Amino acid sequence: MTGRIVHPGETPWSMTERVCVTTLRPDAGLWTPLWWWLCLGMALALLAGGVVSVAWLFYAGLGIWGIDWPVAWGFDILNYVWWIAIASGGTFISALFFLLRAPWRTSLNRLAESLTLCAALCAAIFPILHLGRPQFFYWLFPYPNTMGLWAQFRSPLVWDFFAILAYVLCSVLFWYFGLLPDLATLRERAQRRWQRVFYGVLALGFRGSARQWRHYQPVYGVMAALMAPLVVSVHSIVGMDFAGGAATGWHSTQFPPFFVFGAGLSGFAIVLLAVIPLRPALGLQPYITDWHIDVLGRLLLTASLCVAYAYVMDVFSTFYGPDQADRTMFAFRLHGLYAPVYWGTIMLNIVFPQLLWWRGVRMKQPVVWAICLGVLVGMWLERFQIIVSSLARTQLQSAWGQYTPTLWEWSLLAGTIGLFLTAFLLLVRFIPMLAMAEMRAVLEDRP
Amino acid sequence: MVETYTGTQAGDNGGGSILPVLMLGGGVAGGMGGFGMQVYATTISYPLDVGGRPNLSWPSYIPATFELAVLGAMLAGIIGYFVTVRLPRLYDPVDESAAMRDVMKGAHVLVVRSGDRARARQMLSRYEVLGIEEIGP
Repeated sequence: MTGRIVHPGETPWSMTERVCVTTLRPDAGLWTPLWWWLCLGMALALLAGGVVSVAWLFYAGLGIWGIDWPVAWGFDILNYVWWIAIASGGTFISALFFLLRAPWRTSLNRLAESLTLCAALCAAIFPILHLGRPQFFYWLFPYPNTMGLWAQFRSPLVWDFFAILAYVLCSVLFWYFGLLPDLATLRERAQRRWQRVFYGVLALGFRGSARQWRHYQPVYGVMAALMAPLVVSVHSIVGMDFAGGAATGWHSTQFPPFFVFGAGLSGFAIVLLAVIPLRPALGLQPYITDWHIDVLGRLLLTASLCVAYAYVMDVFSTFYGPDQADRTMFAFRLHGLYAPVYWGTIMLNIVFPQLLWWRGVRMKQPVVWAICLGVLVGMWLERFQIIVSSLARTQLQSAWGQYTPTLWEWSLLAGTIGLFLTAFLLLVRFIPMLAMAEMRAVLEDRP
Repeated sequence: MVETYTGTQAGDNGGGSILPVLMLGGGVAGGMGGFGMQVYATTISYPLDVGGRPNLSWPSYIPATFELAVLGAMLAGIIGYFVTVRLPRLYDPVDESAAMRDVMKGAHVLVVRSGDRARARQMLSRYEVLGIEEIGP
């Protein structure tokens, strides 16, 4: 088994050396590579567009967006749900597969968790912008106030606030706790003064003493056991944001698992999307082997089949159910104004991933990469059809309408992609993308 | 005082960490605090009659209760860990040793903190140690 998850001939020493050199760049000849600067430049350009968009939004208000009656939830909620689903991949891989003792997750967990942090950051922005008066975001907190008001604890939107708060905080804690031994490694290997100070302060004095390790593993294990149900609860609650509303097409008990499946699909897709180019770029091929890509491809296929089941149930419950308005809305979804969105979702999320049944396809990394990119677009389209086509065809025919996103909504979406890439590139550059301490255990356990 | 330093968890962890129990306590406290806050808000502080439905609608309190329980357990775990192993500690006399530089690459270091140098050296020399280094005044 270990022969497949790590190249033979790798030792804890060689692995530590390789990862530290990529992160610390100790010699003058080892400049930060050109691809990193190019990607950062593109990311910052996108981010700058997003900053302009947010600044104009704060000045002019929500009227600059295309949202109106009846489609009052547009790009902001769509992008929030899309990003938070992307964030799930890291938690599934690092927590769920830790509990399952899957040996392949060790070399992927740092990368996947870093993706989680960056995506959750992007997701958290949208609900605050959508408030209209973002300076009052703290009103969401239940805090003692002069008017004696409380949040409406029976509303899924308030549950969602707690879910996102807990998820973001817990993801940061879990990521940082797993990172402690690796920060200590970097502190010991660092040669420049700023690096010794930077990693030394972040490592908080972790030195690998028996006492520190003895308490480390149990805490990490319990954290993983908490993170796994937490990520499921977060996406269930996102599903309930919709299921709790009486809008056509939303009021369904299948929404919580449906959103968990969708989260898994986009989560595995973003991990593959990042792993495939970063593996050669960071020289991680000895630890992230072709077999890892194969496993992730199979997971993506499994998630795609789960999502297919949810889509079929969506059709079945609509046409088996008693509600005429639901059926009218669904017919609109299938061959109305937004029909390309629906069929695009089906093609990108269900049809193309079926290619992954073939091992030959799973081994062709450019094809896998393209399928993953398609899945991310497909998941975005799925949220578009859930949110927009449902709201555009309400129960009351006189209230029907349509929604066209404006330039400011597109630039905000592009801006969060820029924010995601900027944050992730900075982590890739300054944080080891391989969990060295855990890899040491894998390498030492080898027969 | 004797302490070993290694780059990864060596074998079984020697048993008995109190921290999982502490995390359970943190989770219970977070959950009960969250549930209690919602009960207080909806029945005592701000009762709101919505179509005659009961004020104490406990099933709808479960999601926020669960999230706060997880958050409480995670915070208890990480704060408890730092308190238990006495971190942060940015400087420790063992940092002066050159051997400590290699701990995080896979080396094994045994640190004996003792006032009696000769006795510590004599004790270590009975085992096949690769090298002995003396640090401190």
